[in-house]
Amino acid sequence: MYHRSRVFASVFPVPSLSHTTPTPIATPDLGYAGPGQSFGSPFVSNASGQHRAVRRNLAWSTATRFLSLPKLPLGDTSLDLQQTPKTAEVEESLRYLLVGEGKGEDGHEESLVDWYTNEAGLHFANFVRPTLEELWDKEMDLRHSWDALQQTQQILHQVQHLYLQPFNDHIIPLLYHDGSSSTIRPNKPEQTQAHSTNWKLRRDIHATFAHCLPPQRFSKALSYVLYDAGCRLFHIYVRHDGVVVSSTSENTVEFRERVMTLLRGLEQVGLGGDNAQKAFAHAMNRLVDSFILSHYLKVDWYSKKSVVPHLRMWIKDGFCPLVELVLGCLKCDPSQVEPTELQQWQDMALGRLGRARVDNLFDFVINWNKSLGAIMDIKEYLRLSGAKQHLTSSFSQQVSRRLLHAGATTTYILNVYIYVIRAFHELEPKGVLLERVARPIRRYLKDREDTARIIILSLLTDLTDNVGDKFAPGSELSYEIASEMQKPIANLSPDQDEELNWNDMNWQPLPTDASPDYKKAKVEDVIWFLLTLWDRENFIDELKNILGNHLLRCQDPEYEKEIRLLELIKIRLGDDKLQACEVMLRDVLDSKRINSSIRASGASQLLPSPQGYPSTPQSSRQSGPGPSTPSIPPPQGPRLNAQILSSFFWPPLREDDFLVPDQIQALQKEYESRFERIKGMRKLRWMNALGDGTITLEFADRTEEFEKLTPWQVSVIYAFQPQPSEEWAGGQGKGKGKQKVSGVTRNVDQLRDMLEMDEQLVYQALAFWVGKSVLRETHPETYEVIEEASSSNKDSDAAAAAQEIAEVQAQAQAGAVKTQADLLQEKKDVYMSFIFGMLTNQGNLPLQRILMMMRMMVQGGFPFGADELKGLLGEMVTAEKVVNMGGNVYGIRKG
Amino acid sequence: MALSSGTAPNGARGQTVAQRLQKELMDLMTKPTPGITAFPDDENMTIWTATIEGPPDTPYADLTFKLWMKFADTYPYTPPRVLFKTPIYHPNVDFSGRICLDILKDKWSAIYNITSVLLSLQSLLGEPNTSSPLNGQAAELWDKDQEEFKRHVLARHKQPEELDAC
Repeated sequence: MYHRSRVFASVFPVPSLSHTTPTPIATPDLGYAGPGQSFGSPFVSNASGQHRAVRRNLAWSTATRFLSLPKLPLGDTSLDLQQTPKTAEVEESLRYLLVGEGKGEDGHEESLVDWYTNEAGLHFANFVRPTLEELWDKEMDLRHSWDALQQTQQILHQVQHLYLQPFNDHIIPLLYHDGSSSTIRPNKPEQTQAHSTNWKLRRDIHATFAHCLPPQRFSKALSYVLYDAGCRLFHIYVRHDGVVVSSTSENTVEFRERVMTLLRGLEQVGLGGDNAQKAFAHAMNRLVDSFILSHYLKVDWYSKKSVVPHLRMWIKDGFCPLVELVLGCLKCDPSQVEPTELQQWQDMALGRLGRARVDNLFDFVINWNKSLGAIMDIKEYLRLSGAKQHLTSSFSQQVSRRLLHAGATTTYILNVYIYVIRAFHELEPKGVLLERVARPIRRYLKDREDTARIIILSLLTDLTDNVGDKFAPGSELSYEIASEMQKPIANLSPDQDEELNWNDMNWQPLPTDASPDYKKAKVEDVIWFLLTLWDRENFIDELKNILGNHLLRCQDPEYEKEIRLLELIKIRLGDDKLQACEVMLRDVLDSKRINSSIRASGASQLLPSPQGYPSTPQSSRQSGPGPSTPSIPPPQGPRLNAQILSSFFWPPLREDDFLVPDQIQALQKEYESRFERIKGMRKLRWMNALGDGTITLEFADRTEEFEKLTPWQVSVIYAFQPQPSEEWAGGQGKGKGKQKVSGVTRNVDQLRDMLEMDEQLVYQALAFWVGKSVLRETHPETYEVIEEASSSNKDSDAAAAAQEIAEVQAQAQAGAVKTQADLLQEKKDVYMSFIFGMLTNQGNLPLQRILMMMRMMVQGGFPFGADELKGLLGEMVTAEKVVNMGGNVYGIRKG
Repeated sequence: MALSSGTAPNGARGQTVAQRLQKELMDLMTKPTPGITAFPDDENMTIWTATIEGPPDTPYADLTFKLWMKFADTYPYTPPRVLFKTPIYHPNVDFSGRICLDILKDKWSAIYNITSVLLSLQSLLGEPNTSSPLNGQAAELWDKDQEEFKRHVLARHKQPEELDAC
């Protein structure tokens, strides 16, 4: 009712509500006729009514004059209440108007209290409001919020005092008095009338105050102030608003006093209440966030502990008291924090902390072990509902963005995967989460071509020797894998079903998010995770290849490391599958013994007893030549050490055929015959492409020694030895350059024919020797020995260039085990007959179908893609066996 | 080299049959026998299509026949089921392609393989067993009138392309 009429009145002036200024004393009361003199109405009642109106007018005039507020702009001095003395007349008028007959009749006459309220409103609008508006009308810098609020509070406080003072002094006592004296027994409703009047006035004033301030800006400022207060009280320096606070510690107690004073003041002038509570809630919300980001909750990198207990403690002992304090100051209704609320807040804060940590989980993972603290935080966080989903999705996203792209090397991905395994094992020992987040990584690793090679190479790497350069960034070897290999293997009982072990007192159910068919990996061993990336057989095949290569190049005569690593792998993969690897290792070890016994027999012409020879059942043995090491006596003539390999167990090896130098051939013959004498019926087949050699070259002006050369390099340089037909330099041992000043010249065709060597290899060897400044290219494809090193720069330039080429080529040529392309070439006939058979029986087929069938059907797999297959089909089309029916569909050529 | 994952594991038994068949396929492909060839229809390798050429100097010379072969899980301890897919006029083959051959029935032995089955069928074309025919008319004609027999054979035969078309 009240408000409605006020709203109405603000548009259409209603006499009873429109505000009147106090009637001036001198104003003649024209509507007033003398007592007893009728002024128009014949009725007594009317006359008495008139009389009352006159009296009321008089009293009104006196009272309003007395109560009117000073019409002075707001200033320090003007606010001192200059009270006109309260005369008896005033007292009388007030009494008359408030409790006497002159009390406003409902709806007709204005009551004095209403008038006073209006008066206060007007005064406020005229004198106070401009000041406040000046303070608030533009967007203010948050930093000035404190001042603004404080100033506002002060002004409003003074104004409120100004308004309430006369009211309390003069009106309230009357109402009170009236309430208590008019009836004998103090009447409750009467008494509360004074209260409610008082309350109403306050409320109106407060409403006026609140309306005058822009609500958004005000709550923003208040929220900022509260947030600022919280940050300062808790010494949080990294803040959401970007305000940098000097880290000088303030006096916390003093500061808290200041905050409380301000808040109490605001509450007193009516600026507390719901809006303030909302602002406070905002502030506390941000305060929690800030606290989580603050230095208090930084990841604990040093003592590697979780900060969650700290967070809980802060919520309980720091945050809640602050909330209670502020709520108390703002006079909110339940100013106590309930225990359930505390729990909720702690969980909420933990959730935020967890999310903040999860956002950086990838960084924590790659810094694993130092980041244990963060992982422990996340572990706490995982107890909350929804946390696991969030973690899985967020981490998967991070992984795919930061790890699984072409720019990351396989070694790096493998290392990260290992960290992931370790970190997630800590996070959730049951491994459900790990399985989930690791799936994309595993899938990606499987697609990488070099994954298996890197894993196995790393497994074969010894940590103990020159760690520095092997694991340098950019190196292919993974230090993490190598170090995992050194760790002791947990005692595993593979056949025991964990779920059925009823004596396990530490048994725990699987997490709720485990899929029904989830089976926990029994071994938590990192190597196990790596080795299970593929089928065991495939992995062992790859292991065989790499181990073979490794053994052929290995320098350690005892093969200690290889033996140890093989044993380690055996424990993990089961020894039944690794027979081939064992045989390979045995081969190289036995070769050494055979070498020495053959040499001994050569020297003493005695047959050594074949004891200690392995009884492996293979019938034929192959061997690679290891050309001489001239430093070992006898110094005359080259020496030959052979590696005897059991062909059945070794992976396919390079079989480039070419002629080795005559002397070597002679040695091979001799070795062969002795070997056959020792080993009975066994045959040796020399694999000239394998092995390495050490030679000494004598030039006109210098002698150089070269080690670790490939056989074809040795053969090529030996071919520059003058032939018997030209000029035989004598049996000084192989590899001697000619002493003539003009070096021997050969061209590529000659070399190829002399050595029956593949042209590719000839070029490669030539490039190598040019790189070593032994040969120079005089004409295209023609090379000459550089007999005198003091030749021009041109040679050294050419040498440098050639060296680069040689290195690149050597990379491509280096493997002792066959490459993909070699394999394809070798098995081409089988593949072609497969395709032919397929097309004959199945009719015309598209390329993709052929590829799929090849992959399924060919024993040993078809490790090639559509491009290679297309090449094969192309060859068959050229050979007129197959026709391309168009659209990649192939069929048999008829007739 | 990336390791390709192997085929999905079947039952232990299925695995051995598949392995055995894969080996036979390998042998067929690497050491082909002239006139006969066979290849699996799909990845599970239990159903094959075989092709045999009619032996020279018989009514079937220069003709090509397609066969359908199915291997049970118990192969090679039980014979494969073999049917002619190409219509054939033959005393020991009925009109739906079923074959009467002792080694495909009670005379089967585990030492036989696909190649031997196909070779037996090829020789059956040249030397039918007219004493226990599935096709009585053909048996009669074979003994009496080779010319007429050959006319029937050619009338009934269809090229593989025609077969594929229908």
